Amino acid sequence: MTYHCPSCGQPFDPADGFCEACGAPVVPAAVSSDTGGSAPECPVCSADSSAAPARISAEGYCESCGRKIPSVRDHVELDVGLAAGVTDRGLRHSRNEDAMALAGTLGARGPLAVAVVCDGVSSAPRADEASLTAVRAAVRVLLAAVREGGDPAAASRAAALAGATSLGDLVGPQGAPAATYASAVVAGDAVTVCWLGDSRIYWLAENGSDSRLLTRDDSLAEELVASGLATAEEAMASPQAHVITRWLGADLPEPQPHVARFEPAGPGVVLVCSDGLWNYRPDPAELAALAMPTALDDPLAAAVALVKFAVEAGGADNITAVLTPFPPVWSESESLSRRQR
Amino acid sequence: MTSLPGFTVDIDQNEYLPEGAREVSAVVTVTADATGQVPPPELGAGGGGGGSAEIIIVDCSGSMDYPQSKIIEARAATAAAVDVLRDGAWFAIVAGTTNAWPVYPADGSMAMADERTRAEAKRALTGLRANGGTAIGQWLRLAYRIFQSCPATLRHAILLTDGKNQHETPEDLAAAVGLCEGTFNCDCRGVGTDWEVGELRKISSALLGTVDIVPDPAGLAADFEEMMRGAMSKQLPDVLLRVWTPQQATIKFVKQVAPDIADLTGRRVASGAQAGDYPTGAWAPGESRDYHVGVEVAAAAVGAQMLAGRVSLVASSAAGQQVLGQGLIKATWTDDEALSTRIAPGVAHYTGQAELADAIQEGLEAAKRGDEETATARLGRAVALAHEAGNEDTARLLAKVVDVEDEAAGTVRLKKKVDAADEMALDTRSTKTVRVKKE
Repeated sequence: MTYHCPSCGQPFDPADGFCEACGAPVVPAAVSSDTGGSAPECPVCSADSSAAPARISAEGYCESCGRKIPSVRDHVELDVGLAAGVTDRGLRHSRNEDAMALAGTLGARGPLAVAVVCDGVSSAPRADEASLTAVRAAVRVLLAAVREGGDPAAASRAAALAGATSLGDLVGPQGAPAATYASAVVAGDAVTVCWLGDSRIYWLAENGSDSRLLTRDDSLAEELVASGLATAEEAMASPQAHVITRWLGADLPEPQPHVARFEPAGPGVVLVCSDGLWNYRPDPAELAALAMPTALDDPLAAAVALVKFAVEAGGADNITAVLTPFPPVWSESESLSRRQR
Repeated sequence: MTSLPGFTVDIDQNEYLPEGAREVSAVVTVTADATGQVPPPELGAGGGGGGSAEIIIVDCSGSMDYPQSKIIEARAATAAAVDVLRDGAWFAIVAGTTNAWPVYPADGSMAMADERTRAEAKRALTGLRANGGTAIGQWLRLAYRIFQSCPATLRHAILLTDGKNQHETPEDLAAAVGLCEGTFNCDCRGVGTDWEVGELRKISSALLGTVDIVPDPAGLAADFEEMMRGAMSKQLPDVLLRVWTPQQATIKFVKQVAPDIADLTGRRVASGAQAGDYPTGAWAPGESRDYHVGVEVAAAAVGAQMLAGRVSLVASSAAGQQVLGQGLIKATWTDDEALSTRIAPGVAHYTGQAELADAIQEGLEAAKRGDEETATARLGRAVALAHEAGNEDTARLLAKVVDVEDEAAGTVRLKKKVDAADEMALDTRSTKTVRVKKE
């Protein structure tokens, strides 16, 4: 079978990782901010066609009415064929401090997909930059390692470490930025997950009832429940519910991420998400009911539906949902067409 | 081109507003770079002249002879100030009664400071005699004319008087002040206790200077030296505080709040469609001041973000304008009360400092009218505010006017006998502020 480079169209050997003809990485990871800057004009002031067009200041405000011009990060949809994701600002926060990175490729041992989601910690400085910087650094390491056929568990740890290290550059007088971290590698017959904090990874089974949560939050709520001091419901209602006990941060140079391996018994979808989604629907089977069966064939449409659900439920936080169908099936034509839309 | 010294602009505010709120308040700390760069010729002395020009205006009315130490010390203080002049700075000395005349240079021009001119000026001072009335507007008009003869752009005057402006109408004085506004800055000093704080404050605030009492003539020399050192440290003339606001926004106030309170709200000069300029006078390298800006914006939905104001420092000269630093005042509407009720320490602090100045001035006025009840209440409030904010100097001045029973609660009694000088010192220094206590 012959594969073609998505950049120049020349045939290539997927094991190389780079196209021999144009040098482009064969399947670069898609990152949730890589689609450009602010909108060029103020949507409010430009609606009045009689007025002179208002300029947008360097800081992203309308020079006439002063409104913040929506950031490109407010709502991003990514589709790389083997995975798709949506991230959204929600209704109550002024910016989107979640970030995602995903990639699907044909690795040395067959098709695989990787997904990374980070949720910037708002109480630390530069939360929006932190999440984006971390996913970008982590996905690069993760993708390179698993594409070569490396051990997904080791690759996941290395990627988390790369994410933590990348935050070092953001440390300023205000302190050290921090973020949650959740990654999934969907390859061969297994799913490898890795996490810090309270972003979650779910297995959503085709039949719904076999769905399960693959991660366990590093949060005070989880600790309360684990120690038998409160029920899950009581714990989530407490003011400290979302206080996380582990995170990715420049103040923690050696993160101890959790890594787990899961072998699905049948087809389904891996969901990597921030708490902006699962707060409204924590139960795995109920999430599966929202996503299935669309997610198996059109993960983007299902991710859009999940995020829309969370926005309509209140949108109190930033929302991110990345879906990766299992098993990964490499279909060149479909993969390329999705990437271009 | 040599770059102008930059300004660091720090904004202290709570940008989070509850739903429907429209008032945005911020304390803007402006600090000129400590590296003292000489302004480039384009924006500096325009025309090749030196940077600084100083005029010392000395009251020579008859009362300066009673006691005679006043005129003697005024001559000595002027001489001391002349000695502080940097070589190359322009200067002149003016004497004032019902008229005004140039003491040095006698032809009504300005001299460039060097060993010879300093000696000549001091010789001319020995001839200064006290004889005549007081018409301060005339003195200012002469200073204005003398400054016009000189190319320097950093123009500063020291005005000394010992009495009330008896020999012209308040309108005459106001017209003269209006003529001088924006052409030079002026620090005013009253020696003794027979002058009017309100009268000098009008001059000093219009001319972006300070007002203070020197109760004992013996203190004049040290005070003049200090003022002259301050004037010589300035390097950047005519800096404007430019405030941009969004459409449908109104500026409620723009006040300097540190080192002292000066309301600039009425001094706005429109600059472009949505911006106005407020004068801040001249700046020395490393100098830092705080401004309190209040803006009312159109309310927006929860989650919306708005730029409520952009504060820029602009160097202005005949050759043009240059932005030297800027900061952003923001507004973000939220339904999270923990955010919207957060208090910005600077805003709270200076709101208290403004109330302190008002309480002192109202208390002293009430005492003058014989309204002891109001005076006790307002001065008591002042004691409590000064205590809370750590204004030790103000607390000390207040304790000379009232007996303090409980400073935290502001329980006070008016003193039976108050020294006029203490009362005037409290009045003149009521606008002096302290900065936010660092934890």
